[in-house]
Amino acid sequence: MGAAGRPAVAIAGLSWTYERRSEPALRDVDLTIDQGEFLGVVGPNESGKSTLLYVIQGLIPSNFNGIWRGRVELFGKDTSAMSGLERAAAAGLVFADPEAQFTAMTVEEELVFGLENLGLDHRQIELRLQRVSDLIDLEELYDRSPYDLSGGQKQRVAIACVLAMEPRVLLLDEPTSMIDPRGKKEIFEVLRRLKDTDHTVVVVEHNLEELAALADRVCLVEGGRVRPPLPAGEFFARVDELIEAGLQPPQVAQTFAELARAGLYDGPPPYRFEPAVSAAREVLSHG
Amino acid sequence: MAEAYVSVQDLDFHYPDGTPALRGVNLEIGTNEFVALIGQNGSGKTTLGKCLNGLLKPSAGAVLVDGLDTRSRGIVKKMATRVGYVFQNPDHQLFNNTVFKEIAYGPRNLGMDEAETRARVYEAARVAGVSESIFDEHPFFLTKGLRQRVAIASILAMRPRVLIVDEPTTGQDFRQSLEVMNFLERLWREEGHSIVIVTHEMSLAARYSRRTVLLGHGQVLADGPTREVLSQTDTLARSDVLPTQVTRLAQRLTDLGVRPDVILVEELVEEMVRVHQRHRRAVG
Repeated sequence: MGAAGRPAVAIAGLSWTYERRSEPALRDVDLTIDQGEFLGVVGPNESGKSTLLYVIQGLIPSNFNGIWRGRVELFGKDTSAMSGLERAAAAGLVFADPEAQFTAMTVEEELVFGLENLGLDHRQIELRLQRVSDLIDLEELYDRSPYDLSGGQKQRVAIACVLAMEPRVLLLDEPTSMIDPRGKKEIFEVLRRLKDTDHTVVVVEHNLEELAALADRVCLVEGGRVRPPLPAGEFFARVDELIEAGLQPPQVAQTFAELARAGLYDGPPPYRFEPAVSAAREVLSHG
Repeated sequence: MAEAYVSVQDLDFHYPDGTPALRGVNLEIGTNEFVALIGQNGSGKTTLGKCLNGLLKPSAGAVLVDGLDTRSRGIVKKMATRVGYVFQNPDHQLFNNTVFKEIAYGPRNLGMDEAETRARVYEAARVAGVSESIFDEHPFFLTKGLRQRVAIASILAMRPRVLIVDEPTTGQDFRQSLEVMNFLERLWREEGHSIVIVTHEMSLAARYSRRTVLLGHGQVLADGPTREVLSQTDTLARSDVLPTQVTRLAQRLTDLGVRPDVILVEELVEEMVRVHQRHRRAVG
């Protein structure tokens, strides 16, 4: 744990079974996320990744019925004892489908909606919008209908709405899965900027090549079990295990795992593109 | 290239509001090909897919399927047995309340009797990997991957020669994506269908398709063997498409003797081993 004090998220002995389901969605989860950390969460569909985010935000158990065991804390506070507003101030959730959270007729109204609910006055709202626009500039879209935007723009609006609530933890559930490649690029750019802020970021993402460039640590969720997070370098080095788990490791990591087998390389495989280029040139230059 | 089964001739398409989506497209697809249609959003790839089976009609030029013009009368039924189109979102196409009825809908609509319809349903379900045990279930309650298989089975039941699948892997995890692609490959290799996928996933196009057509701004920018098209970095950039990591890595190593048209991980490894050994011999 960093010097910043208590962890942002602390989950201990957590199991959760949704009402009318026989199998738990999460079982025996222990997970600690440090303040300011960027954590990637990966795993097959239906393995419990979204449920993990709901649990961290406290949507589970407050908005869902089911069987709960264990303890979840946000900045040292038990989520089951926090109000909805307290939880919203601590952790904000962005869904895969941005439209799922739109309610207003214009982008500006959409951004302001949550803030008015917080009881902020006009000046405070202006200030917050200003701070959000430093990260995600949406001003030229303010008068548009949120439904009338490109996929990437919609998701940027959705993220901005959550950021405007100024949560310390940002939880993103496959934010790029439902949008086109150009939109994906926009969202990964937003994630890159978020990485440079004080926010604690937890993102569920299938694209490991993109995640490799962002995550400090990564954890694998499989069949409701959350494996301990590993530093990105260590995580992506386990190429065979990732393939075994049904994931697609970055192609550069796969390449170096094979080169290691062929005896041309030893050491941890590079998992980001530019370091891989340097390592490959090294391999070929020193016969 | 195989003998043309689908022939696209100087095809223009504009949407009712006048927006041009395709301009001067020429393309031929044979009876047993595996083709990937790639390109940025708005490049026209989905529109082209829909023109291939007459879902959309040319604004100018023509699309001929098995010699039939897609604009001719009564073409819908004739097309059903020739070119099938599977939507990106299977929910756009599933509307019956059981899996069996869903798959049986096409054959029944083609006027087949119950015995023939049943035979077609069982065959299509087997090929598509849809178990008989879910025939009475409502498609809505199946997983996305299974709904997509049902959607494919319902098209296969009409036995089209060419199957167009729009974004077969959207929303699926990697293992599920491989299952879908392996299945399409089997239809191509063993059942003799032509497969046309519309996709953003370059690594899957690289592994499965034998031919790739790159669209940009409604025009064909490249059409050829997948290896050739997917390694033309500059041409791909014209439609905002990035080559896969291995291709980009290989192209940063060409000065050391690595081929620039590597599209698969195992090819890059093989290539690096080859260059490394040659280098060692030269030094030693």
